[in-house]
Amino acid sequence: MYLIEKNRVLDIAVELRKDYDLFGPIIEPSTKQVFFDSIDEINEIRLSAPIPSNPPKLIFFPQMEKIISYKYDKVSKNVEIEPVFNERARALFGIRSCDLMGTQCLDRFFLGGEFVDEYYRNHRKKMFIVTNTCIKPFKQCLCVCTDSGPYAREGYDLNLTELGEYYLVEVGSEKGNALINRMSLKKAGKEHDNEKIKKINESIGLFDKIAVDSKAWISRVVNRVTTGLLEEEFWESIGKQCFECGACSFVCPSCSCFNIEDVRTDGSGHERFRCWDSCSYEGYSRMAGGHNPRKPIEDRRNKRFFCKLSYSQSKKYLRPGCVGCGRCAWVCPGDIGLPIVTESIRREFHKKADSYE
Amino acid sequence: MNKKHQNVNISVPEVVTVEEIREEINDVKTFYLKFDERENGDFGEFKSGQFVMCTVFGRGEFAASLPTSPENDRFHLTIKKVGRVTGGLHELKPGDKIGIRGPFGNGFPFEEIKGKNVIYVAGGIGFIPLRSSIVHVLQHRDEFERIILFYGARTPRDLMYQAKLNEWKNTEGFETHIAIDNPVPEWDGETGFIHTLLKKSNIPIKNTVAFVCGPPLMFNFVISELTEMGLGEDCIISTLERHMKCGIGKCQHCSIGRTLVCTDGPVYTYRQIKTLGEQI
Repeated sequence: MYLIEKNRVLDIAVELRKDYDLFGPIIEPSTKQVFFDSIDEINEIRLSAPIPSNPPKLIFFPQMEKIISYKYDKVSKNVEIEPVFNERARALFGIRSCDLMGTQCLDRFFLGGEFVDEYYRNHRKKMFIVTNTCIKPFKQCLCVCTDSGPYAREGYDLNLTELGEYYLVEVGSEKGNALINRMSLKKAGKEHDNEKIKKINESIGLFDKIAVDSKAWISRVVNRVTTGLLEEEFWESIGKQCFECGACSFVCPSCSCFNIEDVRTDGSGHERFRCWDSCSYEGYSRMAGGHNPRKPIEDRRNKRFFCKLSYSQSKKYLRPGCVGCGRCAWVCPGDIGLPIVTESIRREFHKKADSYE
Repeated sequence: MNKKHQNVNISVPEVVTVEEIREEINDVKTFYLKFDERENGDFGEFKSGQFVMCTVFGRGEFAASLPTSPENDRFHLTIKKVGRVTGGLHELKPGDKIGIRGPFGNGFPFEEIKGKNVIYVAGGIGFIPLRSSIVHVLQHRDEFERIILFYGARTPRDLMYQAKLNEWKNTEGFETHIAIDNPVPEWDGETGFIHTLLKKSNIPIKNTVAFVCGPPLMFNFVISELTEMGLGEDCIISTLERHMKCGIGKCQHCSIGRTLVCTDGPVYTYRQIKTLGEQI
């Protein structure tokens, strides 16, 4: 553990930029919206800005990505196929613990199971992650309900916690250690660790006052979504509110569905792209010939909540799929973000329980 | 789970040459393929019931179940023209190149069904994946009891694999019931929907497994007929079809309830299918 003066904390970013493409939270001047984006000027970084509108996944699981380029000469019958990988070393500076947990969900999903996703693995293998403890929550936060905040426990290279005039710097990996050794920082003591714990507890205490948008006790519904006890009408009412825009999937730090398409390039070749997809789209499960096993919107809409909340699905992430960032509730035009639906499921069961009395 | 694929980029197709094309029935063609970069052009090891991802260059990729049996069978795919990509495949001529990734999926559970009667019930192009299983089972004839095929198509012109059917009709120890939906003058075989033939044909129920594959309507009729006759839900095996993009359990398009058809399937027992939590 080390200490760095608050006005020097961006020196870490300066040091990182020597070896990595740097990404961090910035405030877009015209709209005042926070984005997690590539950094041109170090002093653009706003470490204490609220949660960015976009999750960091778009850096290592891009919205659209070329995965193969190929050329087929129909006359000579010659075929050239080349996989396209992105192996650039990139540093994510100042991500919040919810987004780190989302990243870990994606790691477990893309790198686990029978097959490893090579494209994802190449993105991730040279990545440096600096997390930033939330010493106070934001309006839409619910990480205390999803066991993913307000601080990171593991999976970072460096973790920062603001302690008044200093930031506490914790090292989480060899890579992190090597970087800190280049910077001659002051060593932190036990008292600073205690102060961090105090800050975290204060932050948790502020959720009731500040994080007023969303509350969702995930653990209370995890075993209920797939029991079949929820009436079909419940999902129909949720389905009726869905605009099928897919925004919830795109802002979710742990949503991983993608589509693959072959596109002609300017020359004579083709490129195979993969791009984000959403289970709310009608074409998601439609087969060639038109048969669609999941045509009605409620069939598609409850899929997302099964994926995030059901016990069987949580096995692929080794935890529930929701990491409590609150972005889906924020963007949903139909007001059926995950926290609201979770709360509705809980109420539905309360109604049921009451009717039995 | 086994991570043997870790060092190979399974997302890059292998180049294969279309050696020969046969018209099976209207809109369905069989493509005999040779792997350009493999020894003898063979596909190598795979299991009956698995599937491959097939790239038509310039069009895209689709999932195709394998009609080929793993042993002593020329590698081929039988594909119905249904959309943009399969349409592109149907335009190809011998000598053209396509891409293949795979094999993917679990395959049929032959070890578990040794010593049993095996009944095949196929409707339309549902016959394609079952062809692989039939060829395999006939090559290991001693390991099974009675082997019976029910294959239904709309008209005589909708029957695929004609040469194989004629061979099988005369294969000793293989009972075949090939039927068309409605009688026509040039047809002297059985007629009627395939599920109606099951009861008439005195099939064994004890120590029996049934492989069922066909369009959803036919599938449901056959299942209710078989379960009514007393066949257990664990003894009915089918292979499912889904929209697929990656084949390796990552894109999630083929999810049904809690399973992914590409890595957990495509072969399921009827008991499993019933509990997937979604319609098939």
